[in-house]
Order: sequence, then structure tokens, then C-alpha cells
Amino acid sequence: MRMLRNMIAPPLALALTAGAAVALAACSAAGTGSGSSGGVLHIGTTYPIDSMNPFVAQSDYSYAVYEYIYPQLVQYNGTLGIAPDFARSWSASDGGRTWTFHTVPHAHWSDGKPLTAADVAWTINEVMKYKNGPAGQWAGLLEHMIGASAPNATTLVIKYSTAVANVLEQMQGMSVLPKQVWAPYFTGNGSKLKTYANTPPPNGKPMVSGGPFEMVQYKANQYALFKRNPRWWGPKPKIEGFGLQFFSNADAMVQALKDGQVDFIGEYTPPTAVKALKQAGFVVTTTPSLSMKTFIINTNSHKTTHRELLDPRVREAIEYATDRSQIIKTAWLGLAQSGSTIIAPADGSWHDANVKVLPFDLAKANKLLDAAGFKRGPNGVRIADGHPMSYNVIFPPDERGTGDRTFQIMQADLAKIGISISQQNMDDSATFNAISAPGNKYETFDMAMWDWVPPVDPDFMLSVMTCAQLGNNSDSGYCNPAYDKMYARQSTLIATSARRALIWKMQQYIYDAKPYIILDYPDIIEAHSTKWTGFTVSPVMGSVNSLSTATLLQVHQK
Amino acid sequence: MRGADYVIRRIGFALLTIFVAITINFFLFRVLPGNVVSDLARVPHATPQLRHALTVEFGLDKPKWQQYVIYVRELLRGNMGVSFATQQPVSHLLLNDLKNTIPMVTVGTLGAIVLGIATGILSAWRRGSAADHVSTNLAIAFYAFPTQFLGLMLLIVLGGLLPTSGMENPYAGVFGPQSSVARLQDIGLHLILPALTLLLTLYGEFTLIMRSSMLETLGEDYVLTARAKGLRDRRVIARHVVRNALLPIATLVALSIGWIVGGAILVEYIFSWPGIGQALWQAVNQRDYPMLQGGFLVLAVSVVGLNLLADLAYFKLDPRISQ
Repeated sequence: MRMLRNMIAPPLALALTAGAAVALAACSAAGTGSGSSGGVLHIGTTYPIDSMNPFVAQSDYSYAVYEYIYPQLVQYNGTLGIAPDFARSWSASDGGRTWTFHTVPHAHWSDGKPLTAADVAWTINEVMKYKNGPAGQWAGLLEHMIGASAPNATTLVIKYSTAVANVLEQMQGMSVLPKQVWAPYFTGNGSKLKTYANTPPPNGKPMVSGGPFEMVQYKANQYALFKRNPRWWGPKPKIEGFGLQFFSNADAMVQALKDGQVDFIGEYTPPTAVKALKQAGFVVTTTPSLSMKTFIINTNSHKTTHRELLDPRVREAIEYATDRSQIIKTAWLGLAQSGSTIIAPADGSWHDANVKVLPFDLAKANKLLDAAGFKRGPNGVRIADGHPMSYNVIFPPDERGTGDRTFQIMQADLAKIGISISQQNMDDSATFNAISAPGNKYETFDMAMWDWVPPVDPDFMLSVMTCAQLGNNSDSGYCNPAYDKMYARQSTLIATSARRALIWKMQQYIYDAKPYIILDYPDIIEAHSTKWTGFTVSPVMGSVNSLSTATLLQVHQK
Repeated sequence: MRGADYVIRRIGFALLTIFVAITINFFLFRVLPGNVVSDLARVPHATPQLRHALTVEFGLDKPKWQQYVIYVRELLRGNMGVSFATQQPVSHLLLNDLKNTIPMVTVGTLGAIVLGIATGILSAWRRGSAADHVSTNLAIAFYAFPTQFLGLMLLIVLGGLLPTSGMENPYAGVFGPQSSVARLQDIGLHLILPALTLLLTLYGEFTLIMRSSMLETLGEDYVLTARAKGLRDRRVIARHVVRNALLPIATLVALSIGWIVGGAILVEYIFSWPGIGQALWQAVNQRDYPMLQGGFLVLAVSVVGLNLLADLAYFKLDPRISQ
């Protein structure tokens, strides 16, 4: 699965109006909970922290940990709206090019040093200096940004060269780093920046935290342990601490839950485990997610082989032969939502529900291909331009399991319309290589199956289809200047309604072009012991995520 | 003099083998399809600058022969490089992984050797008996079981009784007191299932080879002579048969011990054991060249080194070689 850090978030207008008035979601929730205090939550996951250095890390759980140990200006609330965090309020001026944030007064880092707006400005400005080098992973958070300043301890001013639609969502993804720790690494050409392991003793130095928890122990690929940060400026978590225990495979993780070694398993609990876990008395929660499974067809005009795939009628026929309901029933045991556009319904109003997908209809699919003149050969496979319509489907390991069953269903149905597909297994790295070959020209691949786990704000998922992403995030080879223009425009529309209207248009545009047939949106499945309560699920990563601190502030033993 | 020649030749051959392995390791992973920069740069709004910065940072902008020269030069200085994925020194990472792997794989492998030799002796000694049939069939069955199947079965069946993942209870000692003895006990308990899986997977091979070797030796004239002299059966087996039958086992033992540092990828995967096997598996997926080169170098050195030791032991054990 393509693990993408969750940078961003929800409706801007909501955020703007909510900014000055809405109480910190996590704060209010934690303050009204009635559960007993204490206890240590044991969390199991199959995705380990890959690095504690935020300029190196790629893993979801690395970013979830930053959410809990470093301050962010804002975070998401339960309805994917922007809620205050270290910034209590904010306002935009100068046509959206100047943003002023008012931060929490009298806050401190865990080492006792003051935590002020100047720390935020320092982090932003230092990252900007190195955004084309070692801090490149954060470059997306700083688009069009000129710089930041802190006129006083509780005021932060960020200036942009142009209006940016998703400033708050960008700031949600930016952790404020302790200057007293990181300053020695932001020096010279920044070569030291990525070498700092940022881990606690015995191998590192005591961690300096500005969030509700501090990391007290970390063993790579084994576990990470956290205790409450006694100097945190927000509401006190009900738990004494929590631990993340990393499992190599989901079967072992599920067994550990059954055996009582962990209390909670998040993200990527396999659908096949749901029934057994329920029978064993565990609380199993499923919620629609932002992630999506895609059947990719090469639409790049430079494609040199099997150019019949550039014919819209062929892609339409393939969608007619895609039995989404059967895939969800058989491959996902019902634990997925039917696919339509590149923005999942779980993303609220950003999703265009008006896009109507083609129904499963083999007769119509056959009719389309007949009309296009692709006659069947002696073995039933159609012939296009003198060659059989037989295609390799590039298949990365992330798709194993549910993807295998999905593939089998599609293979059987496509055979009925005279199209033969076969699975071409390769690892993730080789998959991207094969798709973009040769040399990022996307000339040779025909089809692939893969997935996306996008952030809340639709900007990233929309960007995947732009020409600028060829060789980067594009896994379809799709490139259309008209679409690119729409993409560039949506990123500057401050008014949410106008941006939403354009984003809906873009979804329809991509749906019609069909570089992707969105098969389904898998549910997030997680399970926990009945002894615990207070989990706040989200469509990204489930309860413990990089969007909000809500769960681990509220969770408690019954 | 003949002995010294033999030893020098074997050492020279071992060093050459290691050098060839280093070279193959270097080029093998680079000819695989895939690209570490593509993987690491696939973040939202990745820019060409980020890809370029990563390419330069990893030295991948240089020609391959130049990368190879730099690699060999640094290796001779004892520098195994920095992991692309974690930016930490490879030697440090591998050492940590080895510290986790060696105890578990050693227990499993030595257990397998002891059990395999014992059951092999028993089967040969009681050839044709019920004990022989049970022992031989069990050995074949366990030898044939896929490791992952056996491991998962043990995980499911013994899950409630023994820890099934990791190598320690992470919470003890941090959220409460834990004595050193209690910690050792805890690690020991975590070690049982992965080591047992490895033991059961490996022991069958030793059983079958030991049995076969024993049967061959039992047919030798000197065994008949020993029996004709009126020696007791146990004495004949212990003094004349087992010692001679152990010769082919020596190679297998040396190879098995050599593989100890390579870990047991499947076992480590099933029981989430944080060892070198898992680290290499991750490194392959991430195209983390320095980590792969370092890991496979350690593996090559240990296998070649143990083979060298086996060769030298043969020289000592088998007079036919020295003559």
C-alpha cells in the first residue's frame, strides 16, 4: 500500500469560521470523559515507525507519533473539520496571502523551555532554507510560502506569494520542532539534518516533547513507549501512557489481541479476522476510509504498444465488465464501499456523489467492442490491430489477498468480453519502474492494480493525475493540460464552494477519461478489548492517526 | 608442509569467494528493476529537486563503476555506509539485528543438530523397528512442512500459553519494576516459539543424514570385528559407529551454523522477531543498497568462514585428506 503522510484536511470555510470560536475538540472531549484514569494502552500495528527523524520518515505511524509528541498549529476534529491546537485562533488577510495565528500562551516544552510562536516561525523558516535539499519531504507544506515571523510570543504571521486554498490543512501536517534540539542540525548545507536519529535513551538523548506524550523508549522494528508529558499545556490524557508494538504480519497481530498481549489493533486488520474477533468478544469497528483500490489503464498518448487501450470505448467496456458488487462481496466480505471517483465518499463534501458509475453489463461491453471492430479470434480473445487483446496487469505485493480475489473476478468477466489479462507480480519499487518505463515515458505498460491512501484535503489526490507528476506520483501516465489548468486553479480558490465545484468537475473529468477504474474504497477495520473505550475513528489510519490527538487523550479503561 | 599448503589454499579460496560475493552483491541489487529514489521521493508534492537531492545524497548520480570503487574502498576502511531508508550507519543497524537473531537461531539450530543426531542414531540402531518408523517418518514430515505453515500452527495452538511476537514484553521495566532475572525469563519465553519452529524445520535433515551415515558405517568390517570381539552393542555404537558416522554431519553443521547469522527470514517474519532476516527482507523491498550489501557481506563472510573451518576440521578429522 502506498503510505502517504497525511498532510492536510477539510473544508476551508468551516475552518475559517470555526477558528476563533470552536473549542479544541480533543480538549473538550477529554474534559468531559467519565472513565477511570490510568492504565497503559497496548497498541498493535503492522506498520512500524521507520524513523523518528521527520525528514526521513515515511511511515504512517511515524507521523502519528509526531502528532502526539510535537505541537501542530491545528488538527482535525471528528467530522474532519479543522480545530484549534497550538493555535487558538487565526485569520487571513491580504486576499489570503497573509495568515495570522494566535498561539497558546505560557506553554512549555517537556524540558521546561518556553514554547512560543517563535518556535513555529523558526521551524518554518529553517525548513524553507532546506526545502530543496534534506528537508525536501516537507516542501509540499510550504508551497507559495514566503516566510514566517513571530511579532510576539503568541502571534505568528505567515506570508504567501499567492492565495493558497489549503493553508490550514498544510499547517496540520507541520510539526513544530524544538529549536534547542534541532538547531545544531539546521546548519551549513544541512547534511546533518537527516542523520539525527531523534530517539530516546539508551541509544539517544531524552526526547523533548511539546505534545501530550513523550517518547521514553524506542527499539526499531520492535516497539515504542510513551508516557504523559507532565509539562503539556493541554488537557491531561486519561491514560498513563501507551505503547506501539510492531508486528510483521496481521495474523500474529490478531493472535496477540486474542492472547491479551495488545489491547487494540488498528489499521489493516484483515477482513477475514472480523468474524472470529467478534465471536471472541472483541469490539470490532469498521469505518469507510479515504483509501481506494484502482485498476489502472495506461492512457498516455506516447504509449507504443497495445494502443487500442487509448480508445475510450475499450476502457468503457472494461468498466462495464467490472463487477464491483461481486468484488466487495467476495474479496472484501462486504467491508468496502463501491468505487466511483478519485475522491472517496469518506472525504465528505469534496466527493462528487453525482458521478454515476457504469453498471456491470457484459452485453453492453461486448457491444462496444464489437462496434469498435475488435473481432474475436479462434480462442475467443479479440484481435486489435493484428494482435490479441491480451494484457499483463502489473501487480504489487500490497494487493495480495483481497487484490488476488479481485483480479480473479475481473479476469473471469473480462474473458467473457474477449479480453485476456494475466497477473504480473513484482515488488513496489519494480512496479513503479515498470509502469513509468522507459525513463518515465510510460510507453510500455498496459494495466496495473494498486491503491492510494490519500490525505484528507483532496489536493494531493488531484495532483496525482497532473502532467507534473509523471515520473513522481503518477501511476497511470495520464497527462492532460486542460486538467492541469483546473488543478492549478483549485489550489488558489479560497472560497470553499467555488473550490468544491471545480473539484467535482475534475472528478467527473477523470472518471470519464478512465485512467483509473476505481474499484472500491476499503473500510478501516480495527478491534479492541472490551476493557477499553473512548476511541475516535477517522477515515485515515483509524483511531490512532496523524490527524488528531483525540483518541489517546480520551481513551480509558472502563 | 603439505598441510600448510592446504590451509593457505583454502584461506586464499575463501578470500576470493568473499571478494566475488561482494562484487556480485554490489551489482546484483542494482540490476534489479526498481529505484530507491522513486520509493523515497513518493511523498505528496514530490518535486524534481527532492529526487535530485536524494540521488546526489545517495551517490547514485555517479557511474556504477565509480560507486563500486567507492564502496570497496570504504569497505576496506571498515565503513559499510549509511542506510538509505533510515540514514543510520549500516554497521550499527546490522549489529543490533545480529544481537537479536543469533540467540534465537542458535538455540533452534543447535537444538535441531542435537535432536537430529540423536534421532538419527536411534533410527539406525533400531532399524526396522517401530521407533525407527516413527522417528524417520516424523523427520520426513517436519522436513517437508513449509516453515510458515508450521510456525503459524504453533502460533495459533500455543498462542495462549507462550508469547507469539517480539522478543520481550516492552512494558515491563518501563511502566513497572522488572529484575534482570525476570527480563531474562521473559526473553527466554519469547524465544521458545520461534526457536522451536526452527528446530522442527531443521532437525529432520540431520536425522535422515545421520541415519543414513550410521547405516553405512554399521556395515563396515571393523564394526563386525568389534562385535565379533564380543563388545556390547552400546559400546560398538558409541565408540566405533557414531564417531565415524559424524563425518558427513560436520559439513552440514558448519553450513547450518554459517547460516545462523543470516537469520531465518520466515521464522522472524511470523513471530515478528526483529532480526537480520527481517532487516534484509525490508532492505530488498526498499532497495536499500548499503543495507543489502552489508547484510549479504556478513552472510557471505559467515558462510564462507564456517565452510573454511569445516574444511580445516576435515583436514584434521579425515586422515585421507592430509595423505
